[in-house]
Amino acid sequence: MSLQLVANVVVLTAIYALVSTGYVLVYRVSRVLNLAHGELMMVGAYLLVATAGMFSGDPLLALLLAAICGLVMGIVVYVVLMRWMTGEAVLAAVLITIALGILLRGLSILIWTTQQFYPAAIFGWHNPPVKVAPGVQISAASLAMVVLTIVVYGGLFIFLQFTRWGVRMRAAGQNPLLAEQRGIRLHGVYAFAWGLSTFTAALAGMLLALDSGVESTMATIGLKAFPAALVGGLDSLLGAAIGSAIVAAAEIAAIQYVNPLLSDVVPFVVLLIVLAIRPWGLFGSREQLDRV
Amino acid sequence: MTEPLLAVDDLQVAYHRVAVALHGVSLRVMPQTIVALLGNNGAGKTTTLRAISGFIGLDDARVTAGSIRFAGQRIENRPPHANTARGVVLVPERDKVFPNLTVAENLTVAASSRARAAERRNLEALVFQFFPALADLRPRLAGLLSGGERQMLALGSAVLCNPELLLVDELSLGLAPVVVEDLTRRLSSIRRELSITILLVEQNAGVALTVADYGYLLENGRVVLEGDASQLRGRREIQEAYLGQVSGEERRSYRALRPAPERPHG
Amino acid sequence: MSDGSSHAREMALLGTPRARVRFAIALAALVALPFVATPFQLDLANQVLLASIGALALMLLTGFAGLISLGTAGLLGAGAYTVGVLVREIGAPFWVTLPAAAALGAALGLVFGLPSLRLRGLYLAISTLGLHFVVVYLGGEYEARSTLSTGVMIDSPSIGGWTLSSSRAWYFVLLAFSALALLVSVNLQRTRTGRAWRALRERDIVASALGIDVQRFKLMAFMVSATMTAVAGALFAYFRNFVSIDAFSLYLTVQYVAMIIIGGMGSIAGALLGAGFVILFPYAIEAIAGYLPARFGNTVFALDYAAFGVVMILFLLLEPGGLIGILQRTGRGKNGSKTSSGIAS
Repeated sequence: MSLQLVANVVVLTAIYALVSTGYVLVYRVSRVLNLAHGELMMVGAYLLVATAGMFSGDPLLALLLAAICGLVMGIVVYVVLMRWMTGEAVLAAVLITIALGILLRGLSILIWTTQQFYPAAIFGWHNPPVKVAPGVQISAASLAMVVLTIVVYGGLFIFLQFTRWGVRMRAAGQNPLLAEQRGIRLHGVYAFAWGLSTFTAALAGMLLALDSGVESTMATIGLKAFPAALVGGLDSLLGAAIGSAIVAAAEIAAIQYVNPLLSDVVPFVVLLIVLAIRPWGLFGSREQLDRV
Repeated sequence: MTEPLLAVDDLQVAYHRVAVALHGVSLRVMPQTIVALLGNNGAGKTTTLRAISGFIGLDDARVTAGSIRFAGQRIENRPPHANTARGVVLVPERDKVFPNLTVAENLTVAASSRARAAERRNLEALVFQFFPALADLRPRLAGLLSGGERQMLALGSAVLCNPELLLVDELSLGLAPVVVEDLTRRLSSIRRELSITILLVEQNAGVALTVADYGYLLENGRVVLEGDASQLRGRREIQEAYLGQVSGEERRSYRALRPAPERPHG
Repeated sequence: MSDGSSHAREMALLGTPRARVRFAIALAALVALPFVATPFQLDLANQVLLASIGALALMLLTGFAGLISLGTAGLLGAGAYTVGVLVREIGAPFWVTLPAAAALGAALGLVFGLPSLRLRGLYLAISTLGLHFVVVYLGGEYEARSTLSTGVMIDSPSIGGWTLSSSRAWYFVLLAFSALALLVSVNLQRTRTGRAWRALRERDIVASALGIDVQRFKLMAFMVSATMTAVAGALFAYFRNFVSIDAFSLYLTVQYVAMIIIGGMGSIAGALLGAGFVILFPYAIEAIAGYLPARFGNTVFALDYAAFGVVMILFLLLEPGGLIGILQRTGRGKNGSKTSSGIAS
């Protein structure tokens, strides 16, 4: 494999890894599979388009504003919708997220139409290619994506392991009833998990938008990242990172050596293989299968 | 006559709105006493505790009639965290710790809410005083602890929630007699040092009656006998039916020993 | 969660004299419809009949046997593509293509069903999702290879000199197929297979303890459901005279899932009601769109998406028993019986 291919794999890994954090956060804390995650990421990207329009001279402000809106969006989704499914059958909750995804897709097109947007252009930024090694280059936005993913993973790890809120979230994920009994308010923890989830999704969406624009089919990338999370074991961040690498490598290899059309289906082939061999993923536990 | 800390009146609990588990349970727990709730599997002891603690949603059960009053306030069908905030803390029978958190993290989680920092530190010091073994076990994952160690961690976590009423579900289940004896002694000292009240559910009546002041015997969702621990210990029925459990003797129904008027089953 | 009482109702439907009269009236209305309806209404009715086959198939699998599947679109596509490929490559007539589609459906049902032997609930749904993408990819590959990127044109089926192309003729054909699907469903519900599936849905551990060969019945459920769906897909290809892989998206699957949820899980009548609702819904939205400002009116499909999402959420939150649940509740005052159906936990 040439170094350029390796670089491409690294970039794609970063994309899937950043998006996967959302799946993992929500699943680990509240046992819900959020199949609207791709659409939420897309809305995050559209949010950047909106803030870019307002603050075209101040990109950092626009990015920050959009990211905060992303965080708030997740909390709102929980408080308004998902909260009512807490304690209900998991499958019903997942079906609601599917319905939410459809709703968001419709709303996005109604608000922003099917036109393609380029926030980078709005900022007047050319997204130059960056030379990372001899004969290897990636776009600046892609480089930012890789860096950001590493930062986010580091931040999440520190948060979950060493802060009080982080321990509470892990506790709530392991034993919700006991957590409630020990004084942890589940609704609060879940709302925060959703907020963090859409926050990272918005970050991913924004960087993708800066790299290649926004349009309504962007949500597919979110769905393709799901197998990466599953390979890792759905409730493990480390697993999601490794899973992303596996899926990204398989996808790039397939595009390069077999057939470019395979790009959308390879993640799901990996998914099927994992489900056939080790359904609970690399770092999950067998009991997970029975919980749902 | 002092007011009871916990007053349960005619409590009825139904599962899935159909299967009735408690048919009108009434009990009183006086402040700073240890009260034992005895009975076989399926007698309704755990259900009673769960109703009091708010843990009841676990099996889609609900209090359908009657009341539970804690310090004068009604607490039935309230969410668990609300009851914990009031000072009603449960040590459940199963899933009593967070298995993938360390002992230290388990204790951190428990100490989160109510008390102020100084109070918290006091409580933490007390917990390590009651359970010195926990200090060495701090970095260990709770899921890897032995049964006795896990029970100590569960009790310690409960104490850290600053309880006024501690509910313990099956203290002795699955533990060796020597461990159980040790735990009951510690439970007594906890009651003494913290001046708290304890409601203890136990299949093993012998264990419970050594440490309790008062006791209730439940059968098929009803209270069939109650009295001071010393009185209960002497009752032939308790001895024959329940004290033999540790050695695995065949359990007989209390009703089989004392013919009583037939009551309709729920 | 038990549909024991709906079982009793089904049996009663054809048992009592009053039920027989109602059945006769309904039959008469169904037969009369193509002669009194406008062409537009007739086409709608045809679409509903066609959708009801897929809805019944999904209801058998998910509502009855409790096996979650998100593979409906893939199976519909497989059936449709069988027709497309056979017609285009070898000019096969319908009495070859339809059985071929059914056979492919059965084979795919086996494949889609294999994960169910090890996985349950969410994980099973995910595996069927994966298979959906694989099927869609294969269809896309075929289209790309055969340089007909816009899809495959198909002639209407014909016997002798007569071609099936009028709406009215289609109505009776689809009515027949739909009635067949209905019969299969009702029968399966009563037989040992149906009872086994219901046992599966409740608790497969208990089912296997009762001596039910869980594996065999799970696979059978998938195969029967997939065969029905593939045949529906084949009919769809002939009905539209056209097949393109774009039509078989995840959204199509979600629509079928919505049919059984909105109609009411685990109920045959629910599947039919749901099919009607979901098919007619976009037209209702389109009618409303006419009254909205031009901007919204222009992207009706987006409005459709958004409205559909809202309705699905509302049903999932407020009325998990679906339309059947609503009907049963309003009818409860009359006969005092109480039933509930909902999403199996």
